[in-house]
Parts: sequence; structure tokens; C-alpha cells
Amino acid sequence: MLKYLTKRILRSFLTLAIIITIVFVLMRQMPIEGYFDNFDKLTEEQIQVGLKGMGLLDPMPIQVADFFRQLLQGDLGLSRRYRANVPVAEILSTKIPVSVKLGCLSILVSLVVGLPMGTFMARYKGKWFDRLGTLFIVFIQAVPAAVYFLFIQLYGSVWLKVPLLFDPSKPACWILPVFSMSLGNIAYYGMWLRRYMVDESTKDYVKLATAKGLSQNKIMVRHIFRNAFVPMIQYLPTSFLNTVIGSIYIESLYSIPGMGGLLVDVIKKHDNNMVQAIVLLYATVGVIGLLLGDILMTIIDPRISLGGKGGGR
Amino acid sequence: MDKNVILQAKDVVVKFDLRGKVLTAIRGASLDVYEGETLAIVGESGSGKSVFSKTFNGLNDRNCYIESGEILFKGRDLAKLKKEKDWLQIRGKEISMVLQEPMTSLNPLKTIGDQICEAITTRAPGISRREARQETLQYLADVGISHVEQRYKQYPHEFSGGMRQRVVIATAIACKPRILICDEPTTALDVTIQAQILEVIRQMKEKYNLTVIFITHDLGVVANVADRVAVMYAGDIVEIGTAEEVFYDPRHPYTWALLSSMPQLGEQGEELFSIKGTPPNLFKEIHGDAFAPRNPYALKIDYVEEPPYFEVSKTHRAKTWLLDPRAPKVEPPRVIRGLRDLKPVLPEG
Repeated sequence: MLKYLTKRILRSFLTLAIIITIVFVLMRQMPIEGYFDNFDKLTEEQIQVGLKGMGLLDPMPIQVADFFRQLLQGDLGLSRRYRANVPVAEILSTKIPVSVKLGCLSILVSLVVGLPMGTFMARYKGKWFDRLGTLFIVFIQAVPAAVYFLFIQLYGSVWLKVPLLFDPSKPACWILPVFSMSLGNIAYYGMWLRRYMVDESTKDYVKLATAKGLSQNKIMVRHIFRNAFVPMIQYLPTSFLNTVIGSIYIESLYSIPGMGGLLVDVIKKHDNNMVQAIVLLYATVGVIGLLLGDILMTIIDPRISLGGKGGGR
Repeated sequence: MDKNVILQAKDVVVKFDLRGKVLTAIRGASLDVYEGETLAIVGESGSGKSVFSKTFNGLNDRNCYIESGEILFKGRDLAKLKKEKDWLQIRGKEISMVLQEPMTSLNPLKTIGDQICEAITTRAPGISRREARQETLQYLADVGISHVEQRYKQYPHEFSGGMRQRVVIATAIACKPRILICDEPTTALDVTIQAQILEVIRQMKEKYNLTVIFITHDLGVVANVADRVAVMYAGDIVEIGTAEEVFYDPRHPYTWALLSSMPQLGEQGEELFSIKGTPPNLFKEIHGDAFAPRNPYALKIDYVEEPPYFEVSKTHRAKTWLLDPRAPKVEPPRVIRGLRDLKPVLPEG
């Protein structure tokens, strides 16, 4: 297990290095106009000086090597265009906590609401609760999120008597964005858990458990829920991290100063260092998510071992 | 043998609702199960043997319902039980079950010790964890599993098919049932393992005073384990008697056909016997004898009226017009007569 993890983590670093190198090289292929606000008025000499100042005239391998050397020292560089000459790390460190807090709250709400919802839908399959839940899921999946996000903002803010826009100092202001962000995940968790639980409940071991004299409720909790949770747990970390990283819709709707939309902004503005830092962040989150998912699987399912030579199917 | 009737099914009619179409799986079957016996229910696939026995512990699917008839057990009519709460008093501690497929009938994510303990704590809610564990180890040893302490902590995938079936039997026994229903417990297993599992079931029956209802389509298995045999065809019991009677002196043409199909009785160089045709369509109402269309000995009356039971002996009866005094004398096929002659040579039971 330990050996496998070490290997896996080393390989993750390699993956990250490749991703960031590709992005780095691609960014350098963009037209140079984007690096200047008043490109047309600049002389050729001024442009060359500017480019040299940003280190863009060195041969590509040297640029890449410089970047990695800085990165290893924990230096993400300065933002050039988004906020001139402010360290990237400083910009991100004010934005990340907001998104992370928002994301954590919304995941918490999604799990607390979504998992029981899926469980009850499976338990009372075909009954009114199941139908109601299915209606909700279909609604959330079918209607574009922007539509009901807007309604929640407009009517919710009147109903809760909170301002339309986000104010981090007022706890009540968190309710609507968190709620909006949870809806999609609630539907997602509910739908898959119900489906996996319905699948599990037709298995033979459920029959044997019934024959043992266990009540349906106990079977649901002790056997079916846990077994149905295995296929879900693999994707849970990824879905968690994706939520935490920020939502472009919600954050712009409530003008929350988080990470959502930041990547698009900085690409438009040609801020190479910012782009690299954010891509690195997203890629890391993705890789960690997958790794965590696999580790969780081995913890919950004894048939899966990461050692490679373990028994089972 | 003790002749106390422990479970009595009377004219049970079981139907399935399949999206508006109604299938009659059991057509008025009656059966007495005596305390302490091993009763085998045999029949081909789809004859209703499994559905019939599952009505005894309410394990049939939700679209299945008992239309009429009674199943008397300990003064209660199981056919009337609807609520889960009522069934919980029967399942496990009164009637427990071994399923066909050992590979899937254990929860893959729980240790086998936990799964057996669960049966014990369900039956005796007040029991301490240590006691339950001790008892579980005992049951595991009973079914012939060695290194029980170590095995207790293992998961089903660490067991072979035969070993898993032993665990399933231990689970069923841990409920301390009075009746154990074995639904084709050896069908999914290797032939070499089958005999071992049958032996385990036999030992458990002796040790824990069980009444065993054994469902199978394997007549070889029946010969090994059963005190009495009930032959089912198209949702009804067509012949029932002691194992000896049914094997050596079968009276129903369907039993003849079943016995003739045993490959062990085939003669070298000759094609193996098979029953021609297919079982009747259970969506339609059946007139007369259900077996008549496939029966080479069918009489005219077989197509008109359903035969009643004719008693051959006190313990042996069959549902065929051939036993009516007015029926023409029909000799069973040669193979079956051969069986009769073999009787003294074969070892008992």
C-alpha cells in the first residue's frame, strides 16, 4: 500500500509537471499584443524592452527551466496585468478562502440533504416520496442552472431580507449562494445513491439478510447503503474539490470575491504567471481528488487492494 | 419417525402480477411437513418449487401474492401475513433459508463473522458482543470450517464457493430455526463439493433438530438426503411419498419421465431420455391434467378433468388418472421397472 502510494504520488507530480509545461508553452504562443495596453502606440524598441523585462525573449527551454526553479522555491511569480506587480500568491490567498468556505458549506449541505434523500427514495421506491424526488432531480438536471439561480437570488433575498449582493460580514448572506450551489450536488448524490441502492437491493445477500429476520430498515442501513456507497465514494473527493474551487455562476451573480471566473479573466488579460498558478492549482486538485477517491475505495471495500497482488476479483 | 405436522399448506394458490398479466405459479398445492424430517421438493425449472417454499417465509417478490389457501405454522396462518412486523417473528428464528448461489448470497463488504453475528443479535437482541462472537465461532466450527478465529475476520471473497455455502449454512443455523429451507443449495457447486455440503446439512439437522425442506431438481441429491419426496409439476404436487416409494415404485407418468431423464440410468450407446415438449403456459388456465400434453400415457379424461389424489399407500399418493380402478393397466417404462428390481441391491436412503 505504502509502496503503491509513493509510486502514485511521484507519478502525480510528473503529470502535474507535464500539464503545467504544456500550458506554459501554449501561453507563449499567443500574440504579443496582449501583453501591452497601448500596443499600437509603442515603438518596436519599447516592445522588445517590455518583452525582455517579462523574460519572454529567452529560448523556450530556459524560460521553462526558470519557471520550475522559481516554483520549487515556492515562488509563483508576480502578476503582471491582472494587478501589476503584486505577487500571485498574495492575490490567490485572498480569493481561495472565500471559495473554499463557500464550497465546503455547500458540499456539507449537499451530503446532509442528498444522501438521506437518495436513501429514502430507494427505500420507498415508487411511492410518493420517490416520485417527488425524481421530479426534483429531473427539474434540476433539465432546467439551466442560471435560470433558477436567478430566481433564488431575486425571491430569496426578498424573503430572507438580505441584500442582493454578497456581504461576507453578514452570515445570512451565505445562505442563498450556498443553497444555490448545493442544488446540483443534492440532485446528483440523490440520483446516484438511489440508483445504486435500488441495484443493491435486488442482490442475493439482501435476500439472505431478509431470511435471517432483519427488518427492511436495518438492511437498508447496514447492508444496502454501505454497499451502494462504494461506487459513489470514488467520485466524492473530485466532486468535493471541484465545488470548493469555486463556481463561476454563483460568484459572479452575487459578486463574491472568490476564485470563480478568475481563470478566464487572467487568460483574457494575458497574465501568464496568474494562468500558470491557477492551472497548477486546478490540476493539483484534480489529481488529489482521484487519488483520494482510490484510497477511500480501498478503505471501504475490502476486495480492492492497492498493492496490486492482493486477492479478490 | 415422529409424525407431528409442523407446517401444513392447504390448497395454496400463488399468483404473480406481471404488468397487468396474471401468472398462476402455484395451483392449489397442499403439503404436510412433519417435524424432524427432510422433505425434498423436486421438479423442473419453473415448476414452482422455489416459489412455493418461499411462501413459507414471505420471501417472494412484491408482485407475488397468495390468492387463497392456508399455510398453518404454530397455530398461525402464514398465508394471511401481510405486514413486515409479523414476518419478522417467523423469518430466521422459526424458518430460515439457504440460498442457491453462495457466491452472491453473502455481503461482500462485511466479514463473515459480522454477518453470522447479525443473525444471532437479531434473534437475541440482548446478547453481549462477546457471547455472540463465541456462538458464531461455534457455528463456524459446526459447519466444518477450520481456523475459525482467523476465518471470523475474513471477507467472503477470501472463501471458495463450497466454503461460502458452509458460511451461509452457518448463518441460517445461527438463527436457531425450526425449519430450514434449502433452495437448491448444491446446484451452483462442483460435484465433489456437493456431497460435502449435503453432509453438512445432514449433520446440522441432527445436531439442531431441524426440519429440512430441500428444493432441488437433482434427483441424485434427493436420493441422498430425503426422507420424503414431493414431485412438483406446473405449480402442483403430482406425487408425494417416502423416498423409497417415489424412487422404486413411482406412479405418476411425470415422475417416470423425471427418473428416466437421470443420465445415470441411461444405457451406454443410447441417446439419453428427455421429456418431450415444454411445461404449460402458466398465464393460461389449465384444464385437466397439466402434464397430459407431454404424457405418452395420457388418457382422454386427462384433457377434460383434473385427476384427484389416489392413495397408493398411507404415505404415498399421486395425482394421475392411471391409478383410477377403471383406467387401463399401464406398465411404467422399462428403466423404471429396472429401478424396482435394483432396489435390494442399492444401499438404503
